Amino acid sequence: MPHDKDELSRDGGGLSRRQFLKGVGLVGAGSALAADLLAPETAEAEPKPLQEAPAGETLKKGFLPITLNVNGQAVNMQVEPRTTLLNALRNHADPPITGPKLICDQGACGGCTVLVDGKTAYGCMLLAVDMVGKQITTVEGLAQNGQLNPVQEAFVEKDALMCGFCTPGFVMSVHALLQSNPNPTLDDVKHACAGNVCRCGTYPRVFEAALAAAQKMQGRA
Amino acid sequence: MALQEQPKKKKKIKVPKVINGETTLVEVEVDDTSGPVWGPKDAHTVINHPIRRVDGPAKVTGQAKYTYDVRVPGMLYGRILRSPHASAEIVSIDTSPAERMNGVKAVISYADKKQLKYEGDPVAAVAAITPEIAEDAIRAIKVTYKKLPHVVTPQQAIKPDAPRVFSGREEADLKGNLRPGETRGDKAEVEAALKTCDAVVEREFMITMQHHACLETHGIVVDYNGGPTATVYASTQGTFTIPGEAAQTLGLPNQQAVTAVVEYMGGGFGSKFGIDLPGEVACQLSKKAKAPVHLMLTRVDEFLMAGNRSGAWQKVKAGATKDGKLVAVSATQYRLGGLAEGSQAGIPYIYHAEKVYREVAALHTNQDGSRSFRAPGHPQACFPTESIMDDLAAAIGMDPVEFRKKNVSDPAYHRQLDAGAKAIGWENRNKTPGGGPGSGPNNALKRGMGCGCATWGGGGGPSCQVDVFITPDGGVVAQVGTQDLGTGSRTITAAVVADEFGLPVEAIETRIGHSTYGSANPSGGSTTTASLTPAVKDAAYNARTQFAAKLAPMLNAKPEDLIFHDGKVYAANAPDKALTWKQACAALGMAGLSARGEWKPGLSGNGVHGVHFAEVEVDTETGQVRVLKMVCVQDCGLCVNRTATESQINGGMIQGLGYALYEKTVADPFTGNMLNTTLDEYKLPGCMEMPEMIPIIDDGDERNVVIGMAEPATIPAAGAIANAVYNACGVRVTSLPITPDKILDGLAKLRKG
Repeated sequence: MPHDKDELSRDGGGLSRRQFLKGVGLVGAGSALAADLLAPETAEAEPKPLQEAPAGETLKKGFLPITLNVNGQAVNMQVEPRTTLLNALRNHADPPITGPKLICDQGACGGCTVLVDGKTAYGCMLLAVDMVGKQITTVEGLAQNGQLNPVQEAFVEKDALMCGFCTPGFVMSVHALLQSNPNPTLDDVKHACAGNVCRCGTYPRVFEAALAAAQKMQGRA
Repeated sequence: MALQEQPKKKKKIKVPKVINGETTLVEVEVDDTSGPVWGPKDAHTVINHPIRRVDGPAKVTGQAKYTYDVRVPGMLYGRILRSPHASAEIVSIDTSPAERMNGVKAVISYADKKQLKYEGDPVAAVAAITPEIAEDAIRAIKVTYKKLPHVVTPQQAIKPDAPRVFSGREEADLKGNLRPGETRGDKAEVEAALKTCDAVVEREFMITMQHHACLETHGIVVDYNGGPTATVYASTQGTFTIPGEAAQTLGLPNQQAVTAVVEYMGGGFGSKFGIDLPGEVACQLSKKAKAPVHLMLTRVDEFLMAGNRSGAWQKVKAGATKDGKLVAVSATQYRLGGLAEGSQAGIPYIYHAEKVYREVAALHTNQDGSRSFRAPGHPQACFPTESIMDDLAAAIGMDPVEFRKKNVSDPAYHRQLDAGAKAIGWENRNKTPGGGPGSGPNNALKRGMGCGCATWGGGGGPSCQVDVFITPDGGVVAQVGTQDLGTGSRTITAAVVADEFGLPVEAIETRIGHSTYGSANPSGGSTTTASLTPAVKDAAYNARTQFAAKLAPMLNAKPEDLIFHDGKVYAANAPDKALTWKQACAALGMAGLSARGEWKPGLSGNGVHGVHFAEVEVDTETGQVRVLKMVCVQDCGLCVNRTATESQINGGMIQGLGYALYEKTVADPFTGNMLNTTLDEYKLPGCMEMPEMIPIIDDGDERNVVIGMAEPATIPAAGAIANAVYNACGVRVTSLPITPDKILDGLAKLRKG
């Protein structure tokens, strides 16, 4: 949803650099503000203060360096203010973190599901610059020392994957569910994965895998 | 494609048989040939068992690299500017604003196109250092269009004065937008036969286009820097469909200059062959920029330019006699494939009628052309046929399963209908449409059951060349250029080799998806398993024969008496003097062993059967349909991987569930635009729509040959669900998807009488 200027400045009147960047990134090409930042001529990496910015704040345009904490590692990258977390991980991290998949790019499929400070989020609906200082976990971060985590094990065991393109997203959703609800019902699993789409039709086996993983984790605990 | 074999001599061999974990050697009779044979279905240690996917761990950890995930140094991101109009001409195009942008490395224009014929038709393309900048560049291109009249619905297209989709030479065999096809049977005879029937049903069916909606969109990564060779990573159903087309587009001398890599791919369902439109654009951009280009369609692109299952507009008239005999059927079938021909199987599909008349034509619209999609043409024929079958059964007062059995002679269907009926609890079905008691507030929730049948080929042919390498340290590699669409071809390749050598599947390293490996057919028509596994079997058999010849002297036995089982090799009469696999391999010496195999007749067959049963609950106040339970009984000859086969059956049912209830291409007749080009608006079945699913592999099928089954498992779903809806609430919905408005409309009509 595009934010309008009023909404951007709603809380407290002031506009922090972070909020402003977030707003600009989400506005898209439609508004005058965004048109300035997104215009082709401005795509070089040179900082330039804009009048709208509160005193003492500098607005960046083009690419800016950020450091994200991904799977416990500091990852340096250069992103634009509008770069999504998903694209930052996939296209700007080196080496690229491509477990989260770009499928719909609009929060409709769950293929890019990651954990932000332990909670599931769609990587395509977040801006990379907003993620500074947060703990990001991708599917690459679940296995420890080459050992699959119980959810991953159960997915393999129950054949909860076919082409596998949606699988990282489902794994993350089920993993997050079991962290908060170690003993879920089938209905809980369905709700937890309701934001994930699969085209091959692995759903029944994802459900089986989730329930099997829960049992296994309880047995271990 | 089924090749007939001469009757063969028989011979007796001993094979290991595992019962409750205990291994015993049993004597079995097999064909006396010098080549490989499968041996008894129940004697396998690996195949015909549940097998874990060998690439499961890579897929659950994010390590599996799809084309979308490929990154090569200096790589640019490509984007395509789509025509926003269903029919238009390009008056002018100014790409200079895009060319001037920082980070944009190549821009190409398709201004020389005479006419844009569908929304999504490429107008220009760019390559830039990030996808975001590429998107900016696309937006910066200034195009002036001259809009032309369009047709995007069949109702528009059929009008005598409708705007023409094709013109000039393309128009030659057209009558307006209608391209007449074949006509079969005698219409007058059918009409006369219908007069003798006790019950006649006449209905008009409308099915919209369905989208493949592959989660990995179509696209390729062209690793080309202007030199003599290129590597192309492709999300494709055919590794070997890539090099020739890519070489041609890049202007390289021949296909040897291009290596195709298809390590993992995120779904195809019939829509991904060749370099395709995005591949062509990517090659052009790469050639221009002299840099690698990554071009994956956006989700909107995917809906507009990656094909669809053709819709269908059908008029069907059928009659039966009181004793349950389908007598005559007349069908007019318009395939709705947009710019393409579409596909359409005949009616009454799997059933037999004495007199059949069929008239088929393609009705064109200004929409992206249809492509093959999981059992092309079959779901479009199955839904109306199964609907009519149920209507006739109701009209003559016969049980629908009974009525079906009377009109199909193949015992496979009888067996499967019985098994499916048992699994769904058919005996609990209410006997009259809409006649159930109902439950919930106002007894508004009505339950019903329905069924449908399907057929498919699934045969194999000579196309695969498989290499098996055994190294002196015990390593086993099976290598073939085939691709894995998610059906599990990587796993069955390993499984057949493991089965031959008595090794666990994990002991086999499978290398696939590379055009430098042995050739393989593209995965279309469910032909992969039946083409691939005989070649793998042959390679493994050849490797074992060579291996046995080397080991026989060490074990004081004849080569044919050696048993490979449970990670050991021993003479049949001396199991206590066994070599471990590693010891045996060490005897191969430095060179190890390699063997090649090719497809052989006798290991694969053709022709599968399947049935679906569905139980639904219809909310007669809201028109909502909830599928409670689905059953599919599917045969496939000798099943290779029972786990993956069941998964394919589930997947088929689920795609069919989407086809029946949710998936719809909404084309706006006024603007000519497709209105639902996102995964928010094009509804795929999700977790909350999942019924209880019962996939049943039909083990009553005694054929000991491998046959493909992935496509047929989706065919009968819409018919079975439509019939269940009819059984639940008495409303016959004759168009797909079955949305609540149609149910409520039907209920209102029933109330009016």
